[in-house]
Amino acid sequence: MSLNLDKTALQIQSMVSDLKGRDLEHQKHLEAGLNGMKRTPAEYQHLLDKAERSQTTFLLAHPEEIPDATHPPPALPQSYRILATDGSQIDVDRHQLSRCYLINIGRVRLEYGQSPSAALESLPALYARPEDMVISCGSKEVAVEGTLLGIKRSVEETRHLAEMADAASPNLPTLALADGTLILWSLLSKEFPEYVVEDLLVNGYLKYLGKIQNLNTKDRQVALASYISYPGSTDVVNTLRLLYCPYEPADCTSQCDQLPNGKRPCDILSGVTDSMLFERILKPGERSALFASSSSILEKYYGEHRVYFYYLKTSEEIARVELPGWTARSEELLSLSHSLILEQCRLGHGYPVSLSEAHEQAVVSGQDRRIFNQLVEEMLTASKINPSSSAKSLSKKTRWV
Amino acid sequence: MDNLNTNRIGEVIDTSTTDFTAQSYQLYNTPALGALVKTGEGENTIYAAVYHATTSSIEPGRKPIARGQDAASEEDIYAQSPQLSKLLRSEFSCLILGYRGQGQICHWLPPRPAHIHSFTETCTPEETAEFSRSFGFLNILINSELPVPADEVTAACLRQLAAAAPDKQSFLVKAGKELARILPGQYQRLKVILERIQL
Repeated sequence: MSLNLDKTALQIQSMVSDLKGRDLEHQKHLEAGLNGMKRTPAEYQHLLDKAERSQTTFLLAHPEEIPDATHPPPALPQSYRILATDGSQIDVDRHQLSRCYLINIGRVRLEYGQSPSAALESLPALYARPEDMVISCGSKEVAVEGTLLGIKRSVEETRHLAEMADAASPNLPTLALADGTLILWSLLSKEFPEYVVEDLLVNGYLKYLGKIQNLNTKDRQVALASYISYPGSTDVVNTLRLLYCPYEPADCTSQCDQLPNGKRPCDILSGVTDSMLFERILKPGERSALFASSSSILEKYYGEHRVYFYYLKTSEEIARVELPGWTARSEELLSLSHSLILEQCRLGHGYPVSLSEAHEQAVVSGQDRRIFNQLVEEMLTASKINPSSSAKSLSKKTRWV
Repeated sequence: MDNLNTNRIGEVIDTSTTDFTAQSYQLYNTPALGALVKTGEGENTIYAAVYHATTSSIEPGRKPIARGQDAASEEDIYAQSPQLSKLLRSEFSCLILGYRGQGQICHWLPPRPAHIHSFTETCTPEETAEFSRSFGFLNILINSELPVPADEVTAACLRQLAAAAPDKQSFLVKAGKELARILPGQYQRLKVILERIQL
């Protein structure tokens, strides 16, 4: 049965009128946010002290400088290199007897300046060995599929980034650019056993970040950053909430737990995102102050790779740029990330060109998926291994009246 | 080994009895219109004249966009976007004019088409001179149905072959006589081609 558009249109209409009504209230919240940003250094210091002492239910950003500080774009180096990766996957099909998955990594190396050059690659890897299908510890094991496969893909993207950075000649300042966040939130979202976190995060993701970090020497610069387009994050706004919190220190659970959303004193900022604030504060090309991200996963595991971030106003949007501690704390690497990402956005008409090319290399279309499954079935049949699929899978492929 | 490959310019990506299309190894590095090229090896060498060349996006869904409004030169555009050379490709299509069979060059269609991925090379002046010792291939050129006017391709091919002939003037005179024989009563067509091959 197809979607009943008559009924849906009515609901869209009612959503639009509802949004119109909320617009005025939203303006009020945004102004409160902007007002919160305009504080004296002493007031900020008080805010930071309060943040240290408070127990909040939301994540706070720790500003490394005055939060409404702005930085103009640094000069672009004459010659430089951008490395970028992106990935996609074909997940395990539970309805197929042949259990396997595929991770496709798109890799891009772009060199600008005196001798421009480019390398674009698409590297598929098929995993089907028993040890690929699970992460195990003694007799316990977790299947690599769904969320976990997505995390494994991020690990692979970073491994390739490290591999490319290592293989590149040391003569050019280099930015290794990842798509999305550097924080593996999805490891937190489900409670995976510790050995899974060890395997993917400690012995995988963070190890590769370390490899990139170790490439930095006196004569070699390799910065690492990730680009988040249209971020919905509210870390900075969350910190400002403490300004409007009447309690000293704040303890959300005990003080405001009984109040419905919208009735808490700090809800004067609800609905405001960090990008809404920085849209008003930053001029084109400028980046915001540097903030340290806070989350239990960072404190427990990330160490030197603890994630910092800033907001960047490109010609098209407010983007969030995340950096590991060692890039954020180096003036040179931080500047490199700012100038190079901005230029990448200019060349890519609003989005870093290296990331969009890496995506183009990585993308696996619906057609590709069908052909992949067909190839698996055909090759298994040719080897006289019966790949018979489940009745449910068959019914999805065959439609009849 | 390097010497062997100096003439290698591309690789067959589409093939048929009458023509083939090759992708250039380097962007824009397509042979001139009418140039004699070959593909295959030994007894399977197929000779053909370039009749069409294109440069376009590697992926049909991605269309090139104008980028140079503020660029000083075309070179600047490629320097600002070095990935372009990997996202565009040049192809050239070739009309088969003959092949090598039992050591001899035959000016008629080969028994089998070229293979996909067989290398395409430009012919040396010696090879071109050997190929054009007689004019049997003109019949295929004149009667071909191409997206480019056959008379233009014929004239371009004769100009290219003449450049490799020991005596250009006498080559073109002989070619003109042969054309007059193939095109009896088609004075206008003959005139068009002859105008385009004058030295």
